Parts: sequence; structure tokens; C-alpha cells
Amino acid sequence: MTIEFELDDRQRTLRDAVHSLATTVIRPISMKMDREHKAPDDLLLNLNRMTAAMGGGVASQFTGGSTEPAGKKVKSVNRTAMIGAEEMAWGDATVILNLPGAGLGGPPVRSHGTPEQQERFFGIFKDPEVLRWGAYGLTEPGAGSDVSAIRTSCRKDGKHWVLNGSKCFITNGGKASWVATFATIDPSLGRAGHRVFVVEQGTPGFRVGKIEDKLGLRASETAELVFEDCRVPVENLLGGDERYQKDSKEGFLAAMQTFDSTRPLVGTMAVGIGRAAYEYARDHIKANYVLSRPVPRYRAITDKLARVKRRLDAARMLCWRAAWMADLGMPNSKEASMAKAAGGQAAVKACIDAIELVGADATFEDGEHALLCKWFRDIKVFDIFEGTGQIQRVVIAKRLFEGLKTF
Amino acid sequence: MISFGLDEDEELILETAKKFAQESLWPKIRETESARALPLDVAREAHALGLRALGIPEASGGQGLGLGLECIVEEQIAYGDAGACYGLAGPGALLCFVRELGTEEQQREILSRYTASSGSARRGAVAWSECKPADREGLRTTAERSANAWLIRGDKAFVVNGGVASEYVVLAQVDPSKGYAGLGAFVVPADAEGVQPGPRRIPLGLDAAVIADVRFEGVAVGDGCRLTGGNDFSASLGRAFARHALLVASRCVGVASRTWELTQHYCEERKAFGKPIGHFQAVAFTVADRLMDVESGRWMIWRAAAHWDKHGTPDLALIAAASAHAQEAAMRCGDDGVQLFGGAGFVRDFPVEKCFRDARQLGLMGPTVATLDQLHAEIELGVLADPATFLPTSDIQPIIL
Repeated sequence: MTIEFELDDRQRTLRDAVHSLATTVIRPISMKMDREHKAPDDLLLNLNRMTAAMGGGVASQFTGGSTEPAGKKVKSVNRTAMIGAEEMAWGDATVILNLPGAGLGGPPVRSHGTPEQQERFFGIFKDPEVLRWGAYGLTEPGAGSDVSAIRTSCRKDGKHWVLNGSKCFITNGGKASWVATFATIDPSLGRAGHRVFVVEQGTPGFRVGKIEDKLGLRASETAELVFEDCRVPVENLLGGDERYQKDSKEGFLAAMQTFDSTRPLVGTMAVGIGRAAYEYARDHIKANYVLSRPVPRYRAITDKLARVKRRLDAARMLCWRAAWMADLGMPNSKEASMAKAAGGQAAVKACIDAIELVGADATFEDGEHALLCKWFRDIKVFDIFEGTGQIQRVVIAKRLFEGLKTF
Repeated sequence: MISFGLDEDEELILETAKKFAQESLWPKIRETESARALPLDVAREAHALGLRALGIPEASGGQGLGLGLECIVEEQIAYGDAGACYGLAGPGALLCFVRELGTEEQQREILSRYTASSGSARRGAVAWSECKPADREGLRTTAERSANAWLIRGDKAFVVNGGVASEYVVLAQVDPSKGYAGLGAFVVPADAEGVQPGPRRIPLGLDAAVIADVRFEGVAVGDGCRLTGGNDFSASLGRAFARHALLVASRCVGVASRTWELTQHYCEERKAFGKPIGHFQAVAFTVADRLMDVESGRWMIWRAAAHWDKHGTPDLALIAAASAHAQEAAMRCGDDGVQLFGGAGFVRDFPVEKCFRDARQLGLMGPTVATLDQLHAEIELGVLADPATFLPTSDIQPIIL
């Protein structure tokens, strides 16, 4: 093995296919999706069929769920997911968030669910003709970055667990068939009190609250979930009682392990949006020479362009690095956080600068440059969800300074 | 397939360079600094390890390793002492220019002098920058055709190995009416009549480097000394600068990585308000940010170098981005490093101030961030890159080679 940074045939095919889809199908309806707060079912169905034909669940092509033949020596699934996700986000990131399948709910079920539970909860996504989603319910009004502060309670009562509390900002929470929901048996136990349940749609006491109106990613559903004496069957506690020994932090770990695989992906999606904005501004400048001098002579403009571009390039390398480590089975929490932190930051800056380069026209949602305006709105949350930029730095710092437990 | 892994041989070369940097270079940086030269035993060891001949083609007795490995080794040496990248004997930047501009025969003839047993102390130099800008486009130094020789006349500035090199590659104006398209490159032996090195200059950092201005006073060289760069001299010259820029960038990452380690260690040891300063967010976040700079810089260089090795041709956009990023990484690490050491960073008891100086100096040892960004933007905008912007010129900024 030696260093190499070129895509293999499979990745190139995937990239080109997604790029062409993004250009011809997704971007033309991007503003419509934004206005209607929805990705059209026929698009999602087509994506479902397309990737089923490619031999994997649709989401796995982008989210790194395993579709590789067993026995393959070195996995490439995480790296391949980077390529697909960047390209799809370049088209419209909300399409990725809308992809049918377990979504963010997948990782905790995969890492903590028993084989029976996995069969049960993943089984519903097998038919590509039916649109179904999973969701991940962790954040609460009083617990964002501080995951250990969740207050949604769970109490065992015979063959059920009784959940009380509420979750907020849950992606696909309203339309999900089930939500991997984190609750605590006793807030005073902190992390050791956490349990993770799969709460299915229609469970008594479970209802969808407010659907959020947002700055960006409007075509992606963000829901409030409410649990009022919600009775969840004991079979839906991921891993069963035995998984949570006294003082075990298994529930908390389930929440955290999710992030090691999703953070580089979120970083790479951010890079995709940032690249879209960058390319938009670059092409705009190319086509619009001003005054009598060619634009390349304006150092203020070329300087900004080059900086935006190389910050994105740098972030992409950190994403690839984290994904490569994941494929090789190396622990990558630090690198995953670096990828996420760099990706979000570089892309936010890219979108801010792209608007400046294109000018006032780009600040109108109904204008000629509405897409660029939309990317600016979409990108901000990439430095917030899946752990804010600050939280990523906390994660990194804890791995740099021995004995640093908390700030 | 994207891969950050090295094979066994590459790992061995990396480890050898790292061990040399850590055990031989780093413990002696202050000694090297005050002597303004590497200790003799260290220089001998580097030669014995073959660390300075990695990029010389096998046909000339070198190891003929790819640019990727050269970059990896340069980073390690700079991690030990960035000045050693210039202070150790060897062809230095001359290798890049002879490789890209010389014919196979010229390459073999010139480069084998450095691998011969008598060549262990031999140094090469490239004379590009000038003391004064020209009043027309191009360089002031001229190469004039006389009956059977080229006569080179001009003042070159900031020449690495000026005065100690055995030969110089001199960039000069062959056709003054053609601006940058009228340049030529000549190999000039140091003992040719009319080669007049000035006194050694005192640089901000990179103490082991010998830097001097050199005057060429009607030096006569034959046709065989002209490096014609194949069919397209400008393109070949661009490649020479690009190759060199990537090596400088690797040194930047080496310095950045050393500075970062010193800083991280200090923030763990130094206590204030009852706990290590690294346990305060403002400090820890800075350290985390700089680690992102160091690592992404390294991977960008690897990507650019691997591309060149694989395709045999440079991707200038990748190189420009990697070089600019690596230079800024080194300077940010230096700045924040000294900052987090506080007063201790400002005094010379700690080596972090030296890393800061080296980082700043390295940023002027090849194309600067501004030049690289301009080149990158011009490529991205699809405009024909003007040599006046992408070849480092004497009138825009001093460039040391």
C-alpha cells in the first residue's frame, strides 16, 4: 500500500452518476423543495430504486452503511460514502437528509441492537418501493451540546418502559417509522442513567409536536417529539436490560459512537455545499469582467477565491483521512471531529465569501442567484448539528490533553 | 483508491529520517544556530544515510525516489531542524532545476557529481532573485551570445549556498525584448572567471543556511551549459518552481509539526490558576485548531506529490493550494506557539521562538502565499497564468532558492 488520492473505478462511477443527477434533476427542483419544505416522493423513490439496483440500501451509498461483500480485506465503504455525499450535497444537501432508510437512527441500532432487533427495525426498509425513515432522538430543549443533561425519563413498568419528556430538532422526526430515543432512568446518574429505545410511530403516548421553520435546509423535516406516559415494549430497549449493567455508560456510548461515523460525513457534506458556492462565485466572476481590467488583476478577488478554495481542499483531506481510518478499523474520534470542525468552518466561510463575491444580487431569495442565497442559509447548521464546532474542539482537546475530563 | 498508508520500504525511509531528525538534529539546534553550520558529525551521518540524494535519479547514482517520498523526508528533516534542509551538502534547489530543465545527458553529468564519492561536500545553488527590479518585464541579469560563448552579467540576491556552491543555475534574460518568455538558464561553475559572491548574509531563521548575493561579471559559459527545458522553457521553469515549492511546503509542515508538539507539551506542563493551561478552553481550542492546520497541510502535500508521481506531470492547482496552506500553517503554529508559551516563548530558553523564525523565513524561500494564491485563482478562473504572477519575480518579492 502506498499513498494515493485518486478515486477507484467504482467511486468515479458513483461520483459521476451523482453529479449528473445533481445537475440535471436535483438542482432544477432545489428552490421548489426549499419553498415547499419537502423533497418529492418520486425523486426519493427513484433514488431508492437506483441504489437498490446498485446493490445496497439507498442511504448506505451515502452514509456508509455496510454494503460490501463479506470477506473483503480492506473496507472502502466510508471513503466511498465521502465521495457520494460530497457530490450529492453539491446538488442539494436536503436530499441526503431525506433519503429513505434508518438514517441517523441506524448507527445506534447497529451498534447496540440485538440481531433480532436489527432484523426487526432494519427489515422495514428492504422494499425499495416503500418510503420509510428512521430517526435519532437525542437533543432536548434543555440538552443540546450537553448530552448528559437529557431529562426525558424512562421507568420500567411490567412489560413496558414508560417515557416522559420531549425531544427537539429531530431530523425526519415527524415522518419516521421509528425513532432511536435516548432517555434516562435517573438524571442524577448522568451518563450511566442513559437508555436507548426504538420508539415506533403509533406507540401510545408518543406524538409529533411542532415542525420547525428554519433558516435553511427547509426541505428537510425538523420535528419536536413529545412523550406523555409513552409505553414502549421492553423488546424495544436496544440491547436489552443486560446491555446496561449498573454504572454502565452503554446508553451514552450509543449516542457517541454514532458521531464517529457521522461526523466525517457531515464534514464532507459541508464541503460539498461550500464547493457549490465557491464554484458558483468563480464562474460568476469568470463571466463578468468589470471595468476595463480583467478580474484576475483584482487581487482582493483572486485572493478571496483562492483562500476559499484551499480551505475547502484542506477540510476535504481531513474528511478523507477520518474515513480512511474508519475503513481500516482504526479509532478515529479525534480525526472525525477534526473533519467535522474543519468542514463546517471552511464551508460557512465559503458561502459567506461567495455571496460577497457575487454581490447584492445574491442576497435575495427570489433573485437570479437564489441558489447561492439558499446554500448560505443551508450551510450554517453544518457547524452546529452533530456537535457544534466548539464541541468538536472539546472532543479533540480531550484526546490531546491527558487528564482533561472537563473544562 | 484514497489511501494514507505507507508501504514497508516507505515506512523505513520515514523512520530513518525521523530518527535522524530527532536524535541528531533536534538536540543540537542551538549549537547549529550559534555556529551557523551543522556539526560535522551530523553532516556526515546525513550523507551516510543518503538523505540528501533521494531525489537524484538512479542514472546519476541517486536513489531516484518519487516526489512523495522526497516530501516525506523533507518534512522529517525540517521537524529536526529546518535549517538542515539548506545546511546539509547536496544539490539543493539545483536538483529541481536541472531535472526539469536539463537534457538527460546534462542531468547525468551534473547530478552524478553529487553522488560521486568525492562529491559528499558538494553544494549546488540557484540564482534567481535580483537586488534591483528591472525597468522592463523580466530579469536584469542578461546572457549575451558572443562568438562561441554566453556572457552572463548581473547581480543576484539571496542565493542559498552563494559562495559555497560548486555550481550555480543562473536565470538570465536571453532576449530582453520578450520579457519572461525570453529567459534562459545556465549552469555556471563557481570557479568560472567573474563569479563574485558577496559576504554571507544573516537571515531571520534557518541559521545553518548559507545565503549570499552573487555578482556575475561577464562570466563566459559554453552552449553545453545552457539548460533549454525541452520544447517549452517557460513550462519547464514553472515545473521546476512547482517541484521546489512542494519541498518548501513539506519543510513548513515539519516546522509546524515540531512547533505544535512543543506547544501541546508546554500547555500540558505549565500550570496556571491551579491546572494545566491546556485545560482552559481558549488554549485547548487554539491547540486543536493548529493540529488541523498541520495535518491538513501534510495531506494536501501528499496528494499533490502523489499526483505528480503517478501522472508524471504536476497539478499546479493542488500544489499552489498545498504550499500556501502549509506556509500559513507553519506561521500560525509559530505565532500561536509563542503566544501560548507567553513570556517564556519570547525568551530564547525555549526553542519555540526559533521555530517561529524558521517558519517566517521558510515562507520566503519559495513562492509566497500571495503568489501561490494568485496562481491558483488564475488557474481556477481559466485565464492564462501570466508568468509575471506565477514565476516569483524580483520586482514583486525577493525569492530565495
